[in-house]
Amino acid sequence: MTTGGQAAVAALQHALAAENSAVYGYGVAGAHLTGARRATAVRNWVAHENARDTLAAMLAARGARPVAAAVAYELPFAVHGAAAAVALAAVLEDRLSAAYLGLVGLTGPALREFGAQGVRTAALRAAAWRGSTLAFPGLTVPAPRAPGPASQGSGSPAPSSPAPGSPTPSHPG
Amino acid sequence: MAREATRRRVLTATAVTLPLLAAGCKGIAALGPPPKAAPDVAVARDAMAVETQLIAAYDAVLAALPALAGTLHPLLAQHHDHLAQLRARLIIPAGHPLPAASPGAKARRGPPVPTAPAAALGQLRAAEDTAARALLAHLTAAPPSLAQLLASISASEATHALILGTAARHT
Repeated sequence: MTTGGQAAVAALQHALAAENSAVYGYGVAGAHLTGARRATAVRNWVAHENARDTLAAMLAARGARPVAAAVAYELPFAVHGAAAAVALAAVLEDRLSAAYLGLVGLTGPALREFGAQGVRTAALRAAAWRGSTLAFPGLTVPAPRAPGPASQGSGSPAPSSPAPGSPTPSHPG
Repeated sequence: MAREATRRRVLTATAVTLPLLAAGCKGIAALGPPPKAAPDVAVARDAMAVETQLIAAYDAVLAALPALAGTLHPLLAQHHDHLAQLRARLIIPAGHPLPAASPGAKARRGPPVPTAPAAALGQLRAAEDTAARALLAHLTAAPPSLAQLLASISASEATHALILGTAARHT
């Protein structure tokens, strides 16, 4: 395998690992959400499963063995309520932005385009959860932060969280 | 003895270099035309022009509809961050003004600002979408780190469009 091929495989594996943890994380987040936010979490969860399969296929096509998902992942903070669940979803998407930006750093045009689409999709989902935007998605990733003491009590509204009532990320599948 | 020889060599080198420097521009010109800008310079310049235009569009809306400041200021601040990052990638030679500083940038006026806030937000949203696409047009031509910066800024602009669309629905 060429050096470029090895770099591509490493970047794809990194993106796959981020998708694997997103699938797990959305499972946790979705359990603490209701209504429109739960529906969005479920939609995103399915989208991350699809993205995971796409990346696994791309790796297999390069003769690489896709990294396996872990049975469980350590979450950046405890998730006991809706506010923390929304914050977790935003963190998962921030990490995906960074992982897909790694593909943009490769030399192949197709992988660059693919990576740029991945950054865009993840940034849109993160912004929808957060209700605010980042200047450099994927380049400067904010530190994961639990949303204060509001994470107690399932389904409680988040006074300090700018989470939109009905996040509808405009992403293609 | 050896040290003296070294010093002599240094002195000789200086003697050769000095007249060239003293000749100033003429001396440099004698070396031939300055090297052409690398392709990534053109890419970064284009991206800076995109940002400059967006900043002008935000300024125009803010001037006409100051009540939108709460929504627009955070987004505008990020455009200034984008421009600063792109500018940091370039060493601008003397005599080549930055797109932001050029008088032509001001002269190129955008469409008039709609009086209805929702329409003005919609106009900015469209401008953000256009900018997000324009930044990706040079994705394959750029060196890796600039490509990553362009992809990141483009994604940021897509999220701006999302926020503007949400705000337009709520005004």
